[in-house]
Amino acid sequence: MTAAALFQSILASLPEIVVVTGACILLILGQLARKGQGHFLLLASVAVVLGAALLTIMLSGEVRPAYMGMFIADPFSAFFKVIFYLATVLTFLLSRKYADIEGIGNSEYYVLLLFALSGTMIMASATDLLSIYVGLELTVLCTYVLTGFLRKDRRSNEAALKYVILGSVSTGIFLYGVSLVYGLTGTTQLDGIAAAVTGDPLDPGLLLAVVFIVAGLVFKVGAVPFHMWLPDAYEGAPTTITAFMSVGPKAAGFAVILRVFLNPLVAASNVWIIVAAIAVATMALGSFVALVQDNFKRLLAYSSIAHAGFALFGVVAGGQDGIASVMLYLLIYALMNLGIFGTIIMMRNDDFSGEMIEDYAGLARSHPGLALAMLLFLFSLAGIPPTAGFFAKFYVLVALVERGFVMLAVIAVLLSVVGAYFYIRIVMLIYMREPKRSFDPVLTPFVGATLALTAAGTIGIGLFPSWFLKLAQHSVLGG
Amino acid sequence: MGFPLLSLIVFLPAAGAAVLMFLRSDNAIRFAALGTTVLDLALCIAMLAHFDATKVMQFTEAHQWVPALGISYALGVDGISVLFVFLTALLGSICMLASWVAIDRKVKEFMVSLLFMQTLMLGVFCALDLFLFYVFWEAMLIPMYLLIGVWGGEGRFYAAFKFFLYTLAGSVLFLVGVIVLYFNGGETFDILALTARDLPFGVQSWLFFSFLVAFAVKVPMVPVHTWLPDAHVQAPTAGSIILAGVLLKMGAYGFLRFSLPMLPEASVYYSPLMLALSALAIVYGGLLALAQDDLKKLVAYSSISHMGFVTLGIFALNSRGLEGAILQMFNHGVTTGALFLFVGLIYERTHTRSIADYGGLMKAAPVYTAFLALFTLSSMALPGTNSFVGELLVLSGGFQANLAVGAVAILGAVLSAAYLLGMYGKVALGPESVGLRFKIRDVNARELLAILPLALLVLWLGLYPKPFLGIVDTSVEHLMLQVHGNGSGQ
Repeated sequence: MTAAALFQSILASLPEIVVVTGACILLILGQLARKGQGHFLLLASVAVVLGAALLTIMLSGEVRPAYMGMFIADPFSAFFKVIFYLATVLTFLLSRKYADIEGIGNSEYYVLLLFALSGTMIMASATDLLSIYVGLELTVLCTYVLTGFLRKDRRSNEAALKYVILGSVSTGIFLYGVSLVYGLTGTTQLDGIAAAVTGDPLDPGLLLAVVFIVAGLVFKVGAVPFHMWLPDAYEGAPTTITAFMSVGPKAAGFAVILRVFLNPLVAASNVWIIVAAIAVATMALGSFVALVQDNFKRLLAYSSIAHAGFALFGVVAGGQDGIASVMLYLLIYALMNLGIFGTIIMMRNDDFSGEMIEDYAGLARSHPGLALAMLLFLFSLAGIPPTAGFFAKFYVLVALVERGFVMLAVIAVLLSVVGAYFYIRIVMLIYMREPKRSFDPVLTPFVGATLALTAAGTIGIGLFPSWFLKLAQHSVLGG
Repeated sequence: MGFPLLSLIVFLPAAGAAVLMFLRSDNAIRFAALGTTVLDLALCIAMLAHFDATKVMQFTEAHQWVPALGISYALGVDGISVLFVFLTALLGSICMLASWVAIDRKVKEFMVSLLFMQTLMLGVFCALDLFLFYVFWEAMLIPMYLLIGVWGGEGRFYAAFKFFLYTLAGSVLFLVGVIVLYFNGGETFDILALTARDLPFGVQSWLFFSFLVAFAVKVPMVPVHTWLPDAHVQAPTAGSIILAGVLLKMGAYGFLRFSLPMLPEASVYYSPLMLALSALAIVYGGLLALAQDDLKKLVAYSSISHMGFVTLGIFALNSRGLEGAILQMFNHGVTTGALFLFVGLIYERTHTRSIADYGGLMKAAPVYTAFLALFTLSSMALPGTNSFVGELLVLSGGFQANLAVGAVAILGAVLSAAYLLGMYGKVALGPESVGLRFKIRDVNARELLAILPLALLVLWLGLYPKPFLGIVDTSVEHLMLQVHGNGSGQ
């Protein structure tokens, strides 16, 4: 590698370098910081992310391949990175008070989140199965630890253990698929694989490899049949981490899926049938099982499974609109999901966990503003206009119908009606029941800012989707 | 283009709702809400005064919204929709008067929901872009869900859920239909442009059923009507008036605005099915109404029967039937809206809706019973009242289309006389009910203010319907041309 190429590579990966370096520095500074300097850690972490965000936006103008085909900085990855930054910064803001209440506010918490962020960023930019693997592992290793961060809580420990075991299995499956691909084509680069595969009919060995890779990736987004870890992990993890996992790493999983699936290798095969089946099963399972949940976090875990199913429909559609629809969906999902998690996190106070749905009965009586925000997020998750959640679903449906998958569109909308039921059930509790106890939410300025931002995004993108739609369409691979 | 009058009419209630959020006293909120709706009504009357009955689409506005998908913000009214814009604004004011004392908790939230509801309903009737239409159409679920669920009766949770899920399930298929139409109609959501397309019959057929599910739930037509009695019974008075007066019209409006002009061949082909379902609704709704003891349920089931007449008129697919159906939609909004208002008024006083508890109301509340008589007679289409004109046109259109269906519909008209007169006799006439004697006072000035405009419309339309028919005439002719003009050659 020449010096110029090396310079170009470093330039392309500058945001990742900033995040990793920042995390390392904070790791050392965190040991020096005394108790009660949590604000400093928080602000420094946010500053690191904002710096990386600035670099990403400055670099997003052109496509920059780097590290000899292992990595690429393109508008597609930039779009995803913006989602990750958003998720991370909002998680930081939500964490400050919550971490103190739970007693987990030490520096490792922030550092691990930053490392997880860098992992998701590498996933979005990776163009080689091995660099994908590195990003993937970096992300999940951090989230394993973060899931078990409530050291004295049984559920948290159990969740982390389940997550580690199932996660390692799926990573093993993924690696096995990668090794098959390497054995058959002699390369692990996505472009190289595509070039090697020109023959039709497809090699059954390659198809098997693709299935293994799909299985590994599907695990990360929590789709059926690899969803089992998700409800337990979401329920046991600290709520802030649940919020982060449901948005950041999930979006990263989709980024990889889109990159792998839009590869000619996959486009030529009939893998879309597998993905369609997974999408239907995922959405059905998520929607129906969520109906009977009493725990808010568990319900949102199943809801996130259902949403992953809906986004997978966009992957099935493929094409420019299909990809753009998945990207837009993930952005909107990030906003509304972080919003609803924000409201749960702020309810956590003293002995009040705010984890049961029943806890929210009659909230509208004493906290009309907060109730209105929850109403907005819940209707958006249900996909009712004029919220952003509706436009996200609408655009996926447009992409599906454009490709002629009308029946899939019908299935998707019918399942989303099932999903609507459990969201409006919460609305009913908030607005229509009498309060059983007084509420004492922790409304710090940070949490307030998070809620205001997510609420504004949820209603704003719903009313004026044009600019965001264009952004997603321009960021599509190769577009 | 000029002055965006329609946008003003549509968004004035929402703006009023925004102002309301900053008011504190309940009375100030009530007056502000009423003021907003009256101002809105005044604007609607001004629009009617400037409406040119010889043209089709008027007061049009169009702005780009999501250009990448061909979505625009486009509004406009023709002879059909202008009537419903007016009706919505009128019933909006009346709802405010009807909720003046009936709603005594969370007044602000109630008025805000009601005003948002009005914006969305007006938007549905004015939208000239399918995407915009769908946004208005579906967004209505949110305030309506809250109106029923928060301020409703004892069984309000169940009723609110049922209403929400039924309507949502119907609408989502419509959404897929809209997207299919978008790709088949040249990637546009412009309603007027889509109307001009000539779609192949297979696509039309498919779309017809995807639209049918959504509209049939809203009308409601018989197999999917079961949400209506629950929603009506549990909803607060204003909610019932809106449901009966405006929401039910939207299904029929959907047929007129989308199914007929965009899918003419499918509409003609499936019209026997639709006629049969309409006849079924007329008789079945009537029989169910006959068996009710709950006043609200009786009016609710009578609505199913009356909306059967509307769909009958629409799918008779001749100009008399269509004109009658449109007029009947308007009439039903006025008359049934008034009947729900009357049930609400008496319920406020006695807290019972059971017909068996009433009797001899005439002595205690003569003005109330006199007006009740007027609206009861109007509901059974006595000559001289508004519904007579509409029903006559529908029946003559129906007979022209299909003799058997016309005959069954006549039977429905007889049934409506039976249950309505029965109800009136038990409530207003006979010996005075002992238990209720001291609770009943006659209508006061505020209530009279809510009743009078409706009574006026009943008589005006009954005695001199020409101005109203004049408004719809051109649009109906235009619609007939779209249905029969190209292709089927009838």
